[in-house]
Amino acid sequence: MLDLNSPRAHKARLGAKIGTAGYATLLGAAMLCIATGAGLVISSIRLGYSLGGIGILLLMPAVWWRQDLRSVPPANNSLMGRLSTACLVLLKPGTDYSPSTLWDAIHTDGQTLFITNHLFIQADQLQGCFSEDTAALQSIFEAATQLADSSDSRTVEVGHLAAVLLQTSPVVAEILKHMKLVPKDLDAVIGWFQRTLEAMHTKPQTYGGIGRDWASGFTPLLNQYGHNISAAIERHGAHFGALMDSPGVHDTKAAFSQGATAIALIGPDGIGKTSHAYALAQNVLAEAQDPVLQHKQVVGLDASAIVSAATQPGRLEYILNSLLMEAAHAGNIILFFDDAHLFFHGGPGSFDATQILLPAVQSHALQLMFAVTPHDYEGLRATNPAFAGQLTPVVLREPPESEVLEIVADSAGYLEARRKVLVTYEAVKAAYTLSGRYEMDMAYPGKAIRLLEQSLTHGTGKVITEQSVQAAIEQTRGVKAGTAKPLEADELLHLEDKIHQRMINQSRAVAVVSDALRRARAGVANPKRPIGSFLFLGPTGVGKTELAKAVAATYFGSEANMIRLDMSEYQQESDVARILSDGQHETKSLIMSVRTSPFSVVLLDEIEKAHPNILNLLLQMLDEGQLTDTSGRSVSFKDAVVIATSNAGADSIRSHIERGEQLEQFESQLEDELINSGQFKPELINRFDEVVLFRPLAPDELAQVVRLMLAEVNKTLSAQNISVELTDVAIAKIVEAGNDPRLGARPMRRTLQRAVENTVAGKILRHEANPGDHITLDAPDLSL
Amino acid sequence: MLDLLSWWYGSGWKGILSATRRRLDGLAEAFSIDTLLRTLFAPWKRVITYPGAGLDGKLRAFGDNFISRCVGFVIRLFVLLAAAVSFVGLCLAGLLEIVVWPLVPLLGIALLVWGLI
Repeated sequence: MLDLNSPRAHKARLGAKIGTAGYATLLGAAMLCIATGAGLVISSIRLGYSLGGIGILLLMPAVWWRQDLRSVPPANNSLMGRLSTACLVLLKPGTDYSPSTLWDAIHTDGQTLFITNHLFIQADQLQGCFSEDTAALQSIFEAATQLADSSDSRTVEVGHLAAVLLQTSPVVAEILKHMKLVPKDLDAVIGWFQRTLEAMHTKPQTYGGIGRDWASGFTPLLNQYGHNISAAIERHGAHFGALMDSPGVHDTKAAFSQGATAIALIGPDGIGKTSHAYALAQNVLAEAQDPVLQHKQVVGLDASAIVSAATQPGRLEYILNSLLMEAAHAGNIILFFDDAHLFFHGGPGSFDATQILLPAVQSHALQLMFAVTPHDYEGLRATNPAFAGQLTPVVLREPPESEVLEIVADSAGYLEARRKVLVTYEAVKAAYTLSGRYEMDMAYPGKAIRLLEQSLTHGTGKVITEQSVQAAIEQTRGVKAGTAKPLEADELLHLEDKIHQRMINQSRAVAVVSDALRRARAGVANPKRPIGSFLFLGPTGVGKTELAKAVAATYFGSEANMIRLDMSEYQQESDVARILSDGQHETKSLIMSVRTSPFSVVLLDEIEKAHPNILNLLLQMLDEGQLTDTSGRSVSFKDAVVIATSNAGADSIRSHIERGEQLEQFESQLEDELINSGQFKPELINRFDEVVLFRPLAPDELAQVVRLMLAEVNKTLSAQNISVELTDVAIAKIVEAGNDPRLGARPMRRTLQRAVENTVAGKILRHEANPGDHITLDAPDLSL
Repeated sequence: MLDLLSWWYGSGWKGILSATRRRLDGLAEAFSIDTLLRTLFAPWKRVITYPGAGLDGKLRAFGDNFISRCVGFVIRLFVLLAAAVSFVGLCLAGLLEIVVWPLVPLLGIALLVWGLI
């Protein structure tokens, strides 16, 4: 099967032996001989002829190497006829190859390293992972040939062999599994390699010469204010791959061919409207046979350059009018208005040009393309229906996941070349996943590419991994995206202890919430819903809000990471707008708060008092993990803990507890009571991860609350180096005075204030307490 | 040496034909000869005058546009001539290459021997 003594193999090895250095030496020596020989002949020295002859004979192998040996062309369709030069050089004759020895031969090649580096595997560590069975080689080569065929490659490259070896090794599959990679990821990296290979082998194209340019008019003003996208592609080349034949480009071409003169390219930010313009330009250059589009040049207009040039009144209108006339007269221009909203509204850096553009569009004298977001397009339809009506809409849609991953991987390739880094495939996948979760304001593929660019500064030793992408999103969005580090993991495992440092009892509630936080941080929870959603039920003053604060402080880092809404203020139907406001009228709306701080506790106090329509919104938020604001932009609640509190059922809880029942015994019964009494709809109750009951605090628990509050007082007094202590009798007296079965521990703070703080304040003012003093207060000392 | 000579008188020699053809294609592309022929009588860089009102205006536009077309014709004709000359030149160079190529090894050896005699 492998005839490594074939003429092609010989040639390849000879070419490799000569190499670039040998070629340069041969060429140099030949030129030197010919020049010296010529000089000698002119000086009538006969030996000059011989030197010239030697020069010619040296030139021959140099020409041979350049035209034939450097890259031995494929000979026929057999395997030996298609093996690339690099393969023929790496494989040594006389070796009985098995998959294992084949890997040993090719694992240092650049193409193999492309695949292993992007999988973040050390190629040399895979030695020994492949079969020693020489009979298996036949199927390896057949599969490699099929792989080459699938990408229209005429040659079977080293990368194809490496790809098949990796695909067929069970040991490699096991290694990939440990790296959280699946066979589909290996296929994706191989696809990435094949696209890169194709791009490298694509020769620069020419799209017409001086005759084409002379058929169109002069465009001096457009050259000044515009950017000729087609000319840039001709000069520098471009490779838009699948985008050139995307539905968006196809629809745009079809619309122009059918007589449309103005097209609105509609798509959210990040979907690639500008890239579509470039892909259209390349498509028109390369393929357009249609007389309407043949030889057309796509020219982008720079709104900021036009605005900054308009220093006098009326100058702006004059420039734009002249540009439109010039483009129409040139006859071969498609004007592209990127960020077209800058031409639709007056404001800083923008201006309303619709009155100038409308006659141009109506005249059908030139072709125009406007890139707009759906929001801008709707705005235009509302404010200027006459102009919007002239535009043929072409809606760009997000590509499917596999296509987005390809686009992001290809963009990573450009980043690698430009920034001299290595972007692993797991980083590409992480950019896709994390941008989908956290970048709600942009569309794919733009948001994933942007996140990947932001990750470049988080690379370790020029390698961008999943951790780099996680670090980037953690920095930009303030969320926890990576896996928990040992210290954090330990804290999570002992979360209950930490919360109980500030919460008395309510062990069941604390355990339920802690479990949810651990599930979320370990990546076990449903990522499409909030981290946790709880309905806290119980009497006033038993620690519902305190637990929410404790979660904010322990899990989210600070009590400030709590967004608190008193739902009794949202009882009207019109209050729905206050919740969903995009920030233009209500800067403190729930949506705006979560957009600013997505990693927070959302506390909805007295949920039962909210308007039913607001409760319906809550259903959506709990179900889908997102809400949409009044501008149509989505906000994610997937990194929030949603806690709703209610006093509903408080009397029932109290009576059950007084009968000596445990919370677990009457949980379901209480939920039924609340549903049957109409206080909560069953669909709302069912949406919460847990309905958590809080029991009334017993006197001994209230005593612990007093001790916690006293610790806070001591914290304040520590600035004056004074400390206070209460005897057990004093604490019992405070509990007795502050205990109100209806209000739980809530009056306790007021009582403590009256009893302790007033007493201490008096002592300080009377100089009875000085820095360094430790005050012990007994029951008679308290001013109750 | 045998491999070199078999390539030289085999695919190497044949390669000159395809190389010459590639060069001619490149020349046609660079001059865009088909477009030049199609637009031979078109106004130069679309510099045209739109007809004004009245006979006078129409006559002036006709005159201006006629001049623009003449300028376009002359420039394109010269470019076409230049393209034709280049085309012939490339063909001759290719032909010369085909004739000289097999003589190169002989020339080398002949010069080597001639110098030594």
